[in-house]
Amino acid sequence: MQENDFLNANINSYLNCVHCGKCLPVCPTYNISLNEFYSPRGRVRLILTDNADTMPLGVSKVAEAMSTCLLCGRCVNICPNDVKIGDLIINEKIKLNKLNKLKNGTLFSLDKLALRTLKNKRKILLKSALKFANIPIIEFLSKRYAPKPEGKSFITDRDYKFKPEGKRVNKNNLKVGYFSGCVFNSIYPQISEDTVSALIKNGVSVYVPANQECCGLPFISSGDISSFKDLALNNVNAFKDKDTDYIITSCASCSYSINKLYPLYFNKNDGGYNDVLNFSKKLINIWSFFKIAEKMGMDIKIGELKNEVEAVFHIPCHLSNLSGFKPSSYNEGLIGEAGLIADKINGLKLKPLKHNYCCGNGGMFNIRHYDFSKGITRRKFEEIKEASPQSILTSCSGCMFSLSDQRGILKEKDTLPVNHLISIYAQSLKE
Amino acid sequence: MNQKLISEFEELLGKSRVLSEKEELLCYSYDAASKDFMPDVVVFPLNAGEISKIVKLCLKHDTPVVGRGSGSGFSGGSLPLKGGVVVSFTKMNHILEIDEENMFVTVEPGVINADLKSYLADKGYFYPPDPASYEFSTIGGNVAECSGGPSAVKYGVTKEYVAALEVITGDGEIINTGSKTVKDVSGYNLTQLMVGSEGTLGLFSKITLKFLSKPEANSLILVSFDDKDKGFKAAISLLKLRNKPSMLEFMDKSSIESVKSYFKSDIIKIEGAFLFIVEADGSQVEVDKSNAEYKKILKEFSPVFLFSSGNEEEKRVIMEARKAISPSLRKYGDLKINNDIAVPINKIIETLSFIEGVSKTYNIPIINFGHFGDGNIHVNIMLNKDDIDMVERGEKAKFEILRKTVELGGSLSGEHGIGLEKKEFMKLKYNDYYMNILKNIKKVFDPQNIINPGKIF
Repeated sequence: MQENDFLNANINSYLNCVHCGKCLPVCPTYNISLNEFYSPRGRVRLILTDNADTMPLGVSKVAEAMSTCLLCGRCVNICPNDVKIGDLIINEKIKLNKLNKLKNGTLFSLDKLALRTLKNKRKILLKSALKFANIPIIEFLSKRYAPKPEGKSFITDRDYKFKPEGKRVNKNNLKVGYFSGCVFNSIYPQISEDTVSALIKNGVSVYVPANQECCGLPFISSGDISSFKDLALNNVNAFKDKDTDYIITSCASCSYSINKLYPLYFNKNDGGYNDVLNFSKKLINIWSFFKIAEKMGMDIKIGELKNEVEAVFHIPCHLSNLSGFKPSSYNEGLIGEAGLIADKINGLKLKPLKHNYCCGNGGMFNIRHYDFSKGITRRKFEEIKEASPQSILTSCSGCMFSLSDQRGILKEKDTLPVNHLISIYAQSLKE
Repeated sequence: MNQKLISEFEELLGKSRVLSEKEELLCYSYDAASKDFMPDVVVFPLNAGEISKIVKLCLKHDTPVVGRGSGSGFSGGSLPLKGGVVVSFTKMNHILEIDEENMFVTVEPGVINADLKSYLADKGYFYPPDPASYEFSTIGGNVAECSGGPSAVKYGVTKEYVAALEVITGDGEIINTGSKTVKDVSGYNLTQLMVGSEGTLGLFSKITLKFLSKPEANSLILVSFDDKDKGFKAAISLLKLRNKPSMLEFMDKSSIESVKSYFKSDIIKIEGAFLFIVEADGSQVEVDKSNAEYKKILKEFSPVFLFSSGNEEEKRVIMEARKAISPSLRKYGDLKINNDIAVPINKIIETLSFIEGVSKTYNIPIINFGHFGDGNIHVNIMLNKDDIDMVERGEKAKFEILRKTVELGGSLSGEHGIGLEKKEFMKLKYNDYYMNILKNIKKVFDPQNIINPGKIF
């Protein structure tokens, strides 16, 4: 597997594993199964054995261990020896995928349809599939929830430019591009509207190119590197040569994919390598953007909610902005950079979550291992219940799916609303 | 392995609590020590009755049975040396009862140490034993290995807290030892015999632990010296105080280097060759008083660096760095011979000087850190796996260090246990007569030698 130089560096990181066990309790799948076959340390051992060829291993069993990894990155964050577990798992999936293609088709494609709909340009398939899945009888038969697409897609067939509102217009205004990601385009388009609205109200001009697509995370996490690279290049080109200071996303998983994974899977010999790096560097999540803008002197508008709300903010695993971050307010201490925006909403009171557990979504993990996923989500709701909020906030498409899907998991009669924090902020600016 | 035994387990526990595919077994073939052994089957019992039946099935099929918590031990205690059955306690992870009047808590063995600490802390209580692995190691494993950590200098090790046990012996019988009383001299003290028995006398199903009230506050001082002798004299004078530190850890130059990044130079800029972490705990008034007194004493020994932590973030950074030393040493070699000798405190300087000599003689890096306050030094001999000559030199170095330890009146293992890693060195300390007593004790509890065979002796 010589996709890239990175792999030579990262793949060998499994040799650094001293199997100390520190990764066990932070792993969502280990925590639910309490079985080391579903642990980071176990997965590393399987990869190591598979690569060293010291013992013949069953492909489907190894594939099961890999496909049950949510790529949440919690083990990577605490590993004292810097073992790049997530990258190793992706790499192993690519390898298994290739192996299996030689025999009997794509391995990680029980969900071929889901992936195909995401690759479709105008997301018509995605919408129709979800509408179909929402027909009560189908929902009943499939025994699972499918999010209901809200209204029209955010991205249309032409590029859009949103000008800053009100008096805040001046020469030094920041100019950003907006990357919606597929979920905040097709399923929750309101979140894209709200993000743009919050930006323009703060004097930022926003450019939305029509030609953007899915970030590619569902593909790379399925071992389909070629679709991933196609989508990545398409996104890179959509924003190329446009006059923007930053490119912003409101989805934690899109930022993980673009910031962390894009640079890893392109190498110097690939066409567009430098463009990919530039795009990856330029893209930041909405919370980091406001933090930077504030440092540059932006006077971030304060909003006001009509009715006071006590909420919890679920920190998406892919929004790893807590390590090394020095909080400057109570809210920042609770939730990291996003706390800055929470500070700007009068009437929003954040309550702490004791453990900040994973929501259990993990993108394709939720589709492939629905019951496993639900077990992790249940634990999340137990922690939410302890905080007894009136509302759940987050900032990732995957988290919004699982939290909305399972909000009745503890048999609560009153199900809590699940919202993106940026929507609450946008709303507070209107009120 | 006999397929029949696997079927019998499946019948007893259900298929979901029996692992027998080799890819699954591979994930149970190691712990934090350096050797690997494949089990034949892994089972997940939920209570004493099931464990008893598991042991009886193993007796019938004459198959070894080895207990396992998080598999984070350093001496190979949870490794199935002779194959057989690994009993994973991870699904027995409930806190069964808290007795606040008598201040005892009863737990299943699979409870993670940190979870128990946090459960008790929420109620204003404190469970002191704090092995570096406390965030992931289980109470069952802690009891089996008699784990200790930095707090041992003031609060002692696991054995001080175990009051009663439910144990399944090698006959598959369930016995209950000890009681929730401070005083208990009814017959031999089997509770304490079980603590630190490294899973060789039986499998625990219930553990009753004493707990304390939580100290109101604590403070940390980081202090370092260029001169080893001065540093150690300074540390010893702190230990004589009535309000002695609740933690007194030391790191040598290489261990400081290995975790320097954890200290985040913008927060704490480390200098010096010997570093101590000193903790005071108690009421806020006591802590302030101790902190001032420690600083005054330390300054008399001309430290090159003295940092008193002001906030929780700094304390967290310091403790994260301390915990990260052991796993971070990998950069010095891919094979670590990890010795956790303990010597009388006044012999620490002599021991370290001796180790320095050994390191030079055999030309191998040896990195030392550990619990100065209780004389427990982690001596890490760092080797390259593929360099056969070096590995041989490492083994010789280990032998010399252990021999010296015994000569100075110390112990072969302060925390990790003998397990597989040190059993050949038992003869340095004990003669045949003594070893026979140990073996006969094992025979009483495990006549067929099926419980974790091949460990300790």
